[in-house]
Amino acid sequence: MRYEPPLEKISVNIRETVLGHGEKAIKIGGENTLPFHSFEGTLPNPPGLALEILDTEPQNWAPSILEPYEDVVSDPVSWAKKCVEVFGAEILCLRLESTDPMGQDGSPQAAAEMTKKVADAVDVPLIVWGSDMEEKDAQVLTEVARVCAGKNLLLSPVVKGNYEKIAQAALEHGHAIVAQASMDANLTKELNIVLCKFFPPEKIVVDPTASALGYGLEYTFSIIEEIKQFGLTDKDKMMQMPIICDFGGDCWRTKEAKENREQGILWEATTGISFLLAGANLLILRHPEALKLIKEMVV
Amino acid sequence: MILIGEDLNVMSGEISRVIKEQEPGPIQECVTEQTKNGMDYLDVNVGPVKKDPEGTMEWLINTVQAVTELPLCLDTTNPVAMEAGLKFCQKKALINSASGATESMETMLPLAAKYSADVVLSVINDSGLPSDADERAASIMESAAVANELGIPNENIWVDPVLLPIGVDQRQVTAYLEFIQMLQDLMPGAKSTCGLSNLSYGAPRELKSLLNRTFLVMIGRYGQHSAIVSGFDHELIRLIRGEEPEMVDLIYRAMDEEDMDTSALPQKELEYVKTAQVLMGKSLYSHSWLEV
Repeated sequence: MRYEPPLEKISVNIRETVLGHGEKAIKIGGENTLPFHSFEGTLPNPPGLALEILDTEPQNWAPSILEPYEDVVSDPVSWAKKCVEVFGAEILCLRLESTDPMGQDGSPQAAAEMTKKVADAVDVPLIVWGSDMEEKDAQVLTEVARVCAGKNLLLSPVVKGNYEKIAQAALEHGHAIVAQASMDANLTKELNIVLCKFFPPEKIVVDPTASALGYGLEYTFSIIEEIKQFGLTDKDKMMQMPIICDFGGDCWRTKEAKENREQGILWEATTGISFLLAGANLLILRHPEALKLIKEMVV
Repeated sequence: MILIGEDLNVMSGEISRVIKEQEPGPIQECVTEQTKNGMDYLDVNVGPVKKDPEGTMEWLINTVQAVTELPLCLDTTNPVAMEAGLKFCQKKALINSASGATESMETMLPLAAKYSADVVLSVINDSGLPSDADERAASIMESAAVANELGIPNENIWVDPVLLPIGVDQRQVTAYLEFIQMLQDLMPGAKSTCGLSNLSYGAPRELKSLLNRTFLVMIGRYGQHSAIVSGFDHELIRLIRGEEPEMVDLIYRAMDEEDMDTSALPQKELEYVKTAQVLMGKSLYSHSWLEV
């Protein structure tokens, strides 16, 4: 008798989300199988890999993570260009640290202007990350949405307490959003349900909140697996959004990364590849060497 | 289905106060109402009663029994208070509760034997709450063996499979459903109960009862003997007392995954179907499960 490998055919897909616009727009998601199971189904898009830049000079960064960017950290536009032109980033994440109410507490207008400058200077898709402060993010990201109308940015994070305002602005001005619910599949679904009452599901990427290796990676891993399986094997429409993981900051805060450049790069790359194995569709990375390593492995 | 009214409970600040101040009025009102609403038992939850357990229990049990003939379910973690309560109960009382944890078995089970009382025996043991149906089975078999050894027959044991909030761990809800179907094979003659409202802990207030009553119908079908419920949930009581047979039948059909044209269902019927589906673990729970 001939051996037939048991294959699991899945009849639904993770939604495909478009980031950015024009020639350099990138699609993520779209798969109808578990991560890397190309023998069972199709994975039309490789994982999206973004490099992050800050809108203000980084504080307390370890020398080895600062080193690749040393000549550009004072200017987000040059920083963005270097990431694209020198390090080959196909997606960028602009982190609006300047808006943090516990820090510089910069105005939404200034942040939106800076975002526009960066978005105009490069042609790759742009993720725009707020300060993770619910109320301030609602002000900042709505202003960013308005000033950068039509650029199809990925605005993040959108949470239970501010989703109405940010998603409304994203809808009006043509952007996608990151729906964030911390380490909980039920709450991820809940946020998607309320969003999808007025927001197109194909413009939502979910963030389960990621922790670095050694600092809770296994929880993130399980939640990503859960979300993916609910979406694919249980065919739960509210769980079929692509998944984003943001962990560079966490990795480079570890003692191990701070002490040693190679260790830091491996720490970040290992964390990232683990999330891709769990089912993540989009990673935000901090070190260009980590980007290179992951790219070599998966693309 | 035996319904045990849960509302005489020190978790309510008012009840706690009137027990402390020995003010019979509000207690007797709570008891009378629940009795009138058709409860079969009344849970008397006094907490750990650190101060004067004997005196408190004597007064409370007599105050309750002055206005109801229902049997009582004594709910305290303090064995001294439990024994005091048992002495004053006129009807066969239900001890709430013992578990398979060593300390609990050593204190509560001998009381059940001594007073020939019924006893709630939960599947919790020294390692905590079992994670699935099979582990629940293993745990209860061990604890039941200890109880039987002490002379407590299965008929006096009310097994509590332990119901967790669906928003916390949906798999524990399906494990409950699986376990309750096994129980009569494991322990012939044993009864069962659960703290029903725990299921909807954390769920939106206006939807709690829908979860509770749908689940109660479901486990009723699987042989659940009793449940500790709100003695004021009139909709639940009507449903369980057979006053809405079509709704019960609809929940059964949802459990059987019968092909239904849900678009043709009226709002209320549709809510029951969706709730049954989420409780069966057919779709992932979220607080907006009715809106999908």
